[in-house]
Amino acid sequence: MFVSVSNLTKSYNTGTITHVLKGVNLEMERGQIGVILGPSGSGKSTLMNIIGGVDRADSGRVEVDGECITDLNDNQLVEYRRNSVGFVFQFYNLVPNLTVAENIEVVSNISKNPLKTDEVLSAVGLSDKKNRFPRELSGGEQQRVSIARAIVKNPKLLLCDEPTGALDLDTSRGVLSLLQKVNAQFGTTILMITHNSAIAGMAHAVFRLRSGEVVEVAQNSKLIEAERIEW
Amino acid sequence: MALRKRIWRIIKENKGRYIGIVILILLGSFYFIAATGISNNLEKMVVGFAEEHRQEDLTFSLDKPIEEIAALEGESGAQIEACRQYDAKVPNGELRLLSPGTEINIPAVTSGHILENPGDILLDPSFIKMHGLDIGGQIKLKGKTFNIVGTMAVPNYIYIIKNLYDVLPTRGFGIGIVSSADIEVFPGVVTVYAAYFKDRENINAQTIKLHGLLSEKGYSLSEWIDAKSNKRVSMPWANISSMKSMSLPVSMAFSLLSCLIVGVMIMRIVKSDGVVIGTLYAQGYRRRELIWHYLAIPILLSATGGIAGALLALPCVRPVVDSMLISYILPAKSISFSPLNLALAVLMPVAFIGLSSFLIMRKMLKKSAVELMKGDEQKAKVNFIERALRLDRFKFNTKFRIREQVRSIPRLLFLVLGVCAASMILLYGFTYNYSMDVVMEKGALARYLYPLEYNFKQVRNLHQDGGIPEGAEPYNAFRCYPKGRESVEFYLMGTEPNSVGFKMNDMRGSALSRDQVNISYPLSSRLKLKEGDTISVVTKLDGKSYSLKIDGIVEAYGEQFIYMSLDEFNRMTGQPPGSYRTVLSSHEIDFDKNLLAGVMDARNHEAYKDLARPTTVIVTSVTILAVLIAVIIIYLVTSLRIDESRNTISLLKILGYRRKELAKLILNSSMPAVFIGFWLGLPLMLVFGNNISDYVAEMINMVIPMIVSPLYVLISFVLIFLVYEITKLLCGRKLAKIFMSEALKAGTE
Repeated sequence: MFVSVSNLTKSYNTGTITHVLKGVNLEMERGQIGVILGPSGSGKSTLMNIIGGVDRADSGRVEVDGECITDLNDNQLVEYRRNSVGFVFQFYNLVPNLTVAENIEVVSNISKNPLKTDEVLSAVGLSDKKNRFPRELSGGEQQRVSIARAIVKNPKLLLCDEPTGALDLDTSRGVLSLLQKVNAQFGTTILMITHNSAIAGMAHAVFRLRSGEVVEVAQNSKLIEAERIEW
Repeated sequence: MALRKRIWRIIKENKGRYIGIVILILLGSFYFIAATGISNNLEKMVVGFAEEHRQEDLTFSLDKPIEEIAALEGESGAQIEACRQYDAKVPNGELRLLSPGTEINIPAVTSGHILENPGDILLDPSFIKMHGLDIGGQIKLKGKTFNIVGTMAVPNYIYIIKNLYDVLPTRGFGIGIVSSADIEVFPGVVTVYAAYFKDRENINAQTIKLHGLLSEKGYSLSEWIDAKSNKRVSMPWANISSMKSMSLPVSMAFSLLSCLIVGVMIMRIVKSDGVVIGTLYAQGYRRRELIWHYLAIPILLSATGGIAGALLALPCVRPVVDSMLISYILPAKSISFSPLNLALAVLMPVAFIGLSSFLIMRKMLKKSAVELMKGDEQKAKVNFIERALRLDRFKFNTKFRIREQVRSIPRLLFLVLGVCAASMILLYGFTYNYSMDVVMEKGALARYLYPLEYNFKQVRNLHQDGGIPEGAEPYNAFRCYPKGRESVEFYLMGTEPNSVGFKMNDMRGSALSRDQVNISYPLSSRLKLKEGDTISVVTKLDGKSYSLKIDGIVEAYGEQFIYMSLDEFNRMTGQPPGSYRTVLSSHEIDFDKNLLAGVMDARNHEAYKDLARPTTVIVTSVTILAVLIAVIIIYLVTSLRIDESRNTISLLKILGYRRKELAKLILNSSMPAVFIGFWLGLPLMLVFGNNISDYVAEMINMVIPMIVSPLYVLISFVLIFLVYEITKLLCGRKLAKIFMSEALKAGTE
């Protein structure tokens, strides 16, 4: 398995102890698009943060491409995030005072074998806006930049946290089809979290999360093109 | 009001930053109180003593006693008093006995009591200390025993030098006051006159008039010297003037700097609090209430800094004043502070900072609640510089650093100006010190190839005295000023054409002819004269004026002279050929001591270093101050930038940036601004320093040229960058405390 999560638990102590993940199990093949579906507070962001090496689990095991993430120390986690994972956030998290091209260079600057910035910009359809600042772009365009930034390092795994959460339907379709295109063009494994069940149609594997537990796993053989998704 | 609790919380959240601001304000008020306190107290002691005890305007000696003092006083408008004087040998020294002045130069008893009985004597405190004497004890002078009844200070001997033209005090020499009757028991008592002009304006003109009257009446004058040229009286003035010239501009600069940083801070706080303000607005809070709420922070900071600075400065004034007056004999006075200055030290920062914060907040609160709640204020706008920059050809790290710097123009401006101000202060301190060293080493002392200078009480003549010995040469001089500028005083000197006693090279180092009129460089630049120009000079002694065409400019440091040939000098001033007043010599000459008005011995340069003691105090304090300012400013700006880039830093951590890479990107980005700030400081310091120098020159007629030392520039540069590195270390910890979760939770771009 390319991504393998077994018996993952995580709790937070904020005066009272909150068990966010209660023994999560999840598996994904290389090159797949996976979607974690769940309402707010179900633990999907925490799960993705642990898979992305941003947060640590209390117990359990996460493996990505044979590397056990949960055994890595802080420095090794930095190397893991640096070389293996790409992130796409709901609110884009672009650096506001850098241009589009420079936002992408933030990542290519530290990558071993990055793709060319122009190539990535062309792939996301923003070649003509490389010198614009994030504030000068629409939400959809900003998310495209965010995707370009994530894929420029050619990551093994692309983690997307509610990538369409702040966008309207048409723009969301554009972003989702871009992710589908990235998956097809670069063979990038994509794990997406969303509370929008309509997106499940474009995923190979769908994991429903509720109160910190995976309550349903579905494999999807008939993928819908992102452009045809409705909600 | 519940909101009040927020003020403490806001301050607690960023303790380091607010402590930095308070220290900056504290330094400003500390410096203001310390500098004004020192200069005012020095002035009070020196000027107060001079005024209360009627310091002379002029001292002179005559070949015979003045017969009709009252008539002369009437004619000249001066009060004239004869002082009897006798120099008595004591073991390891000499004591000058003076009769007590009753109208001029009235002695002040500093310990013990006044002269009450015959045989009572008052001594200067340094003499008592040096000779191991005690009040209540006795001293034997020429076989007569005197009872030491106390110590005293006299206005015409604040700086005790034996001869009028001496530079350094003579070891073992001191002064004592005995009654007029007691002094007459000694054989060979001489009379020295002191004059005090009733009209306190136009002292120079009145001096010339008195000189004319005495000459008309047939008196032969010697040792004629006005208070301004008399080191016994004028020495402490240099300290007062330099402190005065430093106090106000520097403390104003501090206040403005604090004002700028606090203004920037408040703008940032209010902007980042935009949503809260909008919400409070929407809940019904009035604009006035919100303004007061946010104004509480700058007022609290400035009042705390102002009061703390003033309180800390109060006990520091006495030791500094004492250390500056260590070479002077003055009555001890209590240190006092002007209530106005104390109030200003607190109110100035409160007013400046309060006003700037108020203006910023008023502008901010003009927006509607809806606009504020949208949080637009927190979103980074791209300024015109960022928009205009095309950085494609640079590496990413360079682009990132440049963009980080130009992101906030006020922040960048503050950093550049702050480093510039700190560098200016640091460079000024070092340059002033170096300039004093150069003046000391390359100035008058170093130019004397013949190190001994004998000044005679009266003009002598080469043709009548049988000449002067081998290895010595004569010169004649008058104290002059340029027509219309009485504050610029200098010596007009006549030297022999083959003189070798002192160097006279032009600015390129080539020897100048001594048969022409040469002007020293400091004087030429002060009067803005160049070769070929003509200057009209007026002699202070008799007010006669002469026109001189400048032929050459002499390389010199601090000295103010015009040189011409001795024959021409004597001819022009109407003196007989061969007249001279001074002998410059390569070796000691056994002149009759009674003929001498003073001897300058430049053989031991080290002995002159004590004269620079007050400078060392100023330079040390200025250096500490500059380093502190640099630390605070660089720390404040760096921590501000870290706070404003929290999301970016957090994001970079998520994206896999290592700690060192982050530190390089974020903390190193200020390097060019620090660099520019420092190099901007150098020319500004020269402009500022030269202005102070001109100001001091006008006040005390002493030119301290600002001479930049490459070594000190390098030391200052290293010091500023060392401060920068230390600040980076401090801020590195702040960087480590930013968590990745901040970017993950970020709800905006």
